[in-house]
Amino acid sequence: MIPMDTVWTWIAALLTLAIFSFLYKDNPFYKFAEHLFVGVSAAYTLVILYYNSFVPNLIVPLFREHNYWFIIPGLLGLLFFARFIPKLGFLILFPIAFTIGGYAGLSIGPGLQARLLKQLQGSMLHPADFADPGLLINKLIVLVGILGTMLYFYFSKEHKGILKVATNIGIWFIMVGFGAAFGYTVMARASLLIGRVQFLLTDWLHLIR
Amino acid sequence: MKDLFIKLAKIDRRYIFLLIAVAVILPFLMPLNFPTRATSHTKSVFDIIETIPPENNPILISFEYGPSTMPECHPMAYAILRHAFARRVRVIGITLSADAAGLGEEALQRIAKEYDRKYGRDYVFLGFKPGVTAVMLSIGEDLKRTFPRDFYGKPTSEIPMLDSVHNYTQIPLVVPLTGSATATFWLVYAGARYHARVADGVTAVIAAELYPYIQTKQLAGLLAGLKGASEYEHLIYRAGYTKTKGQASRGMDALSIMHLVIIAFIILGNIGFFLSRRAPRKGDQA
Repeated sequence: MIPMDTVWTWIAALLTLAIFSFLYKDNPFYKFAEHLFVGVSAAYTLVILYYNSFVPNLIVPLFREHNYWFIIPGLLGLLFFARFIPKLGFLILFPIAFTIGGYAGLSIGPGLQARLLKQLQGSMLHPADFADPGLLINKLIVLVGILGTMLYFYFSKEHKGILKVATNIGIWFIMVGFGAAFGYTVMARASLLIGRVQFLLTDWLHLIR
Repeated sequence: MKDLFIKLAKIDRRYIFLLIAVAVILPFLMPLNFPTRATSHTKSVFDIIETIPPENNPILISFEYGPSTMPECHPMAYAILRHAFARRVRVIGITLSADAAGLGEEALQRIAKEYDRKYGRDYVFLGFKPGVTAVMLSIGEDLKRTFPRDFYGKPTSEIPMLDSVHNYTQIPLVVPLTGSATATFWLVYAGARYHARVADGVTAVIAAELYPYIQTKQLAGLLAGLKGASEYEHLIYRAGYTKTKGQASRGMDALSIMHLVIIAFIILGNIGFFLSRRAPRKGDQA
């Protein structure tokens, strides 16, 4: 009797190879693995959502704990499906309005604080920064980068003279930013390949431990 | 020579795939053991967990990655859990991504078994909750109201290690492990709104956009991609919390070699591109 773990490892390995086969050219093995992945992912997500969200957040409070206030969010949620009935399609606006309004209200305050005010504060020079030359140089680079990048996106005046010099500095900072992001993206994709190769060599072929 | 570069720039991409495959597989079969040096932002996460008293307030780990980003985030989860469990630091696991539920549960169970930690006393898994930002905000008000039951259906009010945990005030560190924009959401909603201490473990794709938050100290630490995971594995190995280096460290040789191959191809491709621009095309007048 073959252990189930071995069977699943073989299935996972063959599906991995089926996906990699696309690198040579599109083929039925790749198509099969791709469709299987989409189907399994959707079904798995649906089951997790049902048992971890729908049941504890609506079914249990409403039918087991008899907390009838939960009818209101339940109905509001059901209105999302109104778009499938053309005559009642407008009803979807209510849950959308509720969601957008709620999220906007919750996001604006903390969002402004974390993404704008604290970041602005971090780019400013403080008298204490002058005590540490290394820190001062870093902060000056950050300050020059921010001013140059912001000026690059200032379109109300033609980029000529001193403004052109500043925007050129901005372009350099933007390019360095893009380069860093691209480098990290390459590393991320390479890591995913390494993860699969590690699985094939370790769990499937047992070539490494 | 010039023709060779131009030909190389137009090489069939499948040869490149083949070379990349060789560059990945060979370092696993013949390890080079390149040295690992932890960056300051990885060490910050390690140092914070080092200062958390054992069997006291728990750290919160939010598993927010699926199988597609598992090779980067799962080793981070293992390494942080090994560190926490070795020091008897309690752990609350949650997930804001439906497909991460199984991965989070597996990581907690496997590492808890390694260190003989007990469910309910040393760690809990509260499972998946939809709503992302709403969940982050709701934990700030009341953790047990946000998660009335754990992943297995047990009421959180009956779990002993959660008795004294009400919100972020009793959680010394929040560690989202994610491959998405939720990394910054934690800073905004748990950090800025509730002053929670947040350290992200993220895939390399989104790491670059998080560095500004380290500079402004909104982010207490950062584990960036496979490299971040290997650095953390190195730190816990050096500190004696684990006897073997982990999965990420084993992949670093392959990552380094693959990067060298990619850099070589970028240089060759660019040389070929510039030379082919200079070369007279067929039909051009002399």
